[in-house]
Amino acid sequence: MRFWVLMKRDVLVSWRKKSNIYQPLVFQLLIVTMFPLGLGAGAQTLQKIAPAVVWILALISTLITLEDIFKDDYEDGSLGLYALSGMPLSLAVLAKAAAHWLTTGVPVILFAPVIAVLLHLPSQSYLILMLSLLIATPIFSLLGTVGSALVMTLKNGGMLLSVLIMPLLAPVLIFGAGAVLETTLGNSATAHLTLLSGCLALSVTLAPLAAAAAIKVNLE
Amino acid sequence: MNKIVKFYHEMGSPPSFYRITAYWLKPLLITSIILMIYGLVDGLFFAPPDYQQGDSYRIMFVHVPAAWMSMFIYGIIGVAGIITFVWRMKVAEAVMMASAPIGALFTALTLLTGMLWGKPMWGTYWDWDARMTSELILLFLYIGVIGIYSAYDDDPRKAARLAALVAIIGLVNLPIIRYSVTWWTSIHQGASISLMGGNTGIKDWSMLRPLLVMALATKFYYMYSMLARARNYLLRTEEQKSWVIKAVNKQSE
Repeated sequence: MRFWVLMKRDVLVSWRKKSNIYQPLVFQLLIVTMFPLGLGAGAQTLQKIAPAVVWILALISTLITLEDIFKDDYEDGSLGLYALSGMPLSLAVLAKAAAHWLTTGVPVILFAPVIAVLLHLPSQSYLILMLSLLIATPIFSLLGTVGSALVMTLKNGGMLLSVLIMPLLAPVLIFGAGAVLETTLGNSATAHLTLLSGCLALSVTLAPLAAAAAIKVNLE
Repeated sequence: MNKIVKFYHEMGSPPSFYRITAYWLKPLLITSIILMIYGLVDGLFFAPPDYQQGDSYRIMFVHVPAAWMSMFIYGIIGVAGIITFVWRMKVAEAVMMASAPIGALFTALTLLTGMLWGKPMWGTYWDWDARMTSELILLFLYIGVIGIYSAYDDDPRKAARLAALVAIIGLVNLPIIRYSVTWWTSIHQGASISLMGGNTGIKDWSMLRPLLVMALATKFYYMYSMLARARNYLLRTEEQKSWVIKAVNKQSE
């Protein structure tokens, strides 16, 4: 019950501050514009790097939103209240991660085809692209809560957060971008997607515990 | 009380850790230097040249022990991290934070010697091969541990607990990263030494000997360097305590 209340509150807070939702998308659009300008090449090169670019853009645009997951709650003291409320802190973390996914992950998934069109991704890859992002964006949010909890009391934690989180996301990128790449070559992406789902299962179970532990240390 | 139990408890308390390890530093350093000189001379001058790689394989005597140490030390950091996080032992904190820079340097040394080896063998300094990539990611994990510790410089105990958490998360993820990265095609030669005695790899004892001696030398060097750093770490974090004041006064006499 409290899980839903907390999640709804967070979604509402993000929704009322619309810039939270559209800024990552504008950011993606801007960066994707830079690629053809920088490459100065035709459709061939773009098509080749499209799976990687779509994926890395999704990753980076999520990464820039992670720092704030716990920051406001820490500063106004509500995080301390969650810890005292008797609700397992890891469950509160899960609610925060779910809200973060709904407000940044889902828009990224829905926006991915637009980016893919701009990069001439072959049409047979769209479904797998969205499916792989559907599995992977929750992992971004979940691992993001861990990073965010580790740096929430720091003034400029953004850079450190990237250093902490990026290496952990390497497997997700390998499997996710790999799945899309396989489909562009006409192969099945099942193996990659299965492994990606395995990563998701691990993050759902372990990331909230790690984030809750970091919050407890930070609140001491 | 049993002697081993007593020793264990003594090593857990900063003052007696500081007192006991004072006698270990010199022997460890001297052993490591002797082993290193022997290993390098044996490896560089007396080991036979490789039938394929000629003399350039000799960088292996630095590269492989450094690579072993880079992973071994991360394991130590992970275990010390668990102890730090669960039991909040100060000495474990010191061991963890003292090991991190040494491990990072061994990782950097592995990458550097690997690049120098790669140029004549593969014709390129860098290739996004599985083992190189996971070694690079290992370097990032080390940087993460050091980075979070130095970010919380106003509260070293909190910093150490958060660094421990980062180390544990890294330890859990390391196998996942390693396997995910391995599922690319790899040009790196397979492991040259296997405990179970595979069919490939080094069979010549005169080649193996310097390698094992160097591996031992780096272990001793690590123990020396880690203990020296851990002692300094304890002095720094406990500077208000009376045992530190006593120890410093005794040294300056």
